[in-house]
Amino acid sequence: MLKIENIEKSFGQLKAVNGVSLEIEKDDIFGLIGPNGSGKSTLFNIISGFYRKDKGEIYFDGERIDDLLPNQIVERGLCRTFQVSRAPERMTVLENMLLAAKNQVGENPLNALLKRPMVERSRKKNLKKAKELLSELDLFHLKDEYSGNLSGGQKKLLALGRIFMLEPKMVLLDEPTAGVNPTLTNNILKGMQNLREKTENSFFIVEHDMGVISDVCRKVFVLNSGEILAEGSPEEIQQNDKVLDAYLGRN
Amino acid sequence: MPIANFTIYLFTMFGIYALFAMSLNLQVGYAGLVNFGQVAFFALGAYTSALLVVKAGLPIAVGIIAGMLASGFFGCLLAWPTKSLKSDYWAITTLAAGEVIRLFALNEKWLTEGPFGVMNIPQPLEGLIDKYYNIFYFIFVLIVVAVVYMLLSMLTDSPFGRNLKAIRDAEDLSKSLGKNTQKIKVQVMAIGGLVAGLAGAIFAHYMVYISPENFRPLETFLIWGMIIVGGRANNRGAILGAVVIQTFYVSTRFVGNYVPIGSDLMSAARMIVIGLLMVSFLIFRPEGLLRERKKTYPDEV
Ligand SMILES: Nc1ncnc2c1ncn2[C@@H]1O[C@H](COP(=O)(O)OP(=O)(O)OP(=O)(O)O)[C@@H](O)[C@H]1O
Ligand SMILES: [Mg+2]
Repeated sequence: MLKIENIEKSFGQLKAVNGVSLEIEKDDIFGLIGPNGSGKSTLFNIISGFYRKDKGEIYFDGERIDDLLPNQIVERGLCRTFQVSRAPERMTVLENMLLAAKNQVGENPLNALLKRPMVERSRKKNLKKAKELLSELDLFHLKDEYSGNLSGGQKKLLALGRIFMLEPKMVLLDEPTAGVNPTLTNNILKGMQNLREKTENSFFIVEHDMGVISDVCRKVFVLNSGEILAEGSPEEIQQNDKVLDAYLGRN
Repeated sequence: MPIANFTIYLFTMFGIYALFAMSLNLQVGYAGLVNFGQVAFFALGAYTSALLVVKAGLPIAVGIIAGMLASGFFGCLLAWPTKSLKSDYWAITTLAAGEVIRLFALNEKWLTEGPFGVMNIPQPLEGLIDKYYNIFYFIFVLIVVAVVYMLLSMLTDSPFGRNLKAIRDAEDLSKSLGKNTQKIKVQVMAIGGLVAGLAGAIFAHYMVYISPENFRPLETFLIWGMIIVGGRANNRGAILGAVVIQTFYVSTRFVGNYVPIGSDLMSAARMIVIGLLMVSFLIFRPEGLLRERKKTYPDEV
């Protein structure tokens, strides 16, 4: 479904991503792990169109996407969250959810003025969905709070909520549980699995917590200094010598 | 000027500047596009309408609409460089763009009469209403302000308005949710341009005479003062700010009658005071008189 071939990206002298190739299939959860600075976020930024690759090709659903803009990539059903959560300062949690709904009639200014009944209908539909999702994520009581005022963990949950509104085919999550307490982490994982059951989409997640990785991922890629060091099931990865040296450490 | 006439003049100016300030508020307050060249739109609206009516003999309504379209189109053009420029560089671009329009009006005498300006600009229905013309024009402006206020509120309350705030507060988030932020910026600059062009055209037909002097960068400074004092991302705030700043600006003219200072000194002092007012607001009440309202959704589900 997502196919990455030989992607390279440098920042000045630094080769942040150095010839990465990998493939992600439909309807499953994949992990991406690696030491700090190994290029995980950079790779996500390239896939989602926020950075331009120097070399290589990316295909999604058979279509080449590495020269598309971020919004064009989202339109094709591939979206991402950020490692540092984005939370608009003066938009409420509920507005954040509504923002994410796709193809809203009233996003076109002329429609907003002239097609009021249609705008109203789509607003009601999205509002209902947003409120249901917020309840599922345990954020409903915060619906009228400015998202800028949420805690770090709550922002991560909200990021997931927005993704659920968007209903993409594939999601890249950059450290969805970092800094989140165990209960919320459970919420996030549950939410992820719920969404997958409903829509058969796939997830590609960056995660430092090996427990989470073992729980949810079918396959894991290990990145080190911009290169794929190993790939395999979580068990295989945890026994791989190179991975133990570079990242997990031995005890 | 008798006091009654003066009051009507003042209120008409409130209306014209309210339109002008609302247009800036849409771009700056809602979309976070720091535009220092807004006077260009005002000037384009004013000159386009005045010249089409005076020189080409077109009906005033056509002139006003053409003025709006010219400004709207200029907005699209000006939005283009946001694609590649960082926001502070873009702000400088807008400042320059504002001056370019004024300098064009000043130098292209074949078209604009240069520093002499455009004179004898016709007024709508001027033959029909004699005695109370200024009251008529005030009511006309009032209706325009009401309509524009309603339309802008509909826009800012809509998903389009929500997209604007998202661009302002977290542009890369908007992109990550599939928003074509570049297109939205073009749209918002065009809409702001339409409104500012309308304000300019109405100004021209009210003043009957316009010259490049009317369109100095100072005008942009004044409407910035209006949205800083009145409050950003709040259309009522823009109107209130227009009233406050305009009252202050116009009434200080009379200070000269009581305090013996020269008119040069007076106009400089007046700008200093407005500048101080803006700075104090930014420090002590940064959200302005009317703060941005939190958008909540009554429990329907
Ligand atoms: N925009 C940028 N400009 C310059 N250098 C960058 C930029 N983005 C990333 N880098 C560099 O690229 C390298 C890889 O960074 P990246 O953020 O991809 O790492 P990561 O694997 O996500 O790390 P972490 O686990 O800490 O999030 C780092 O050395 C980083 O400093
Ligand atoms: Mg990272």
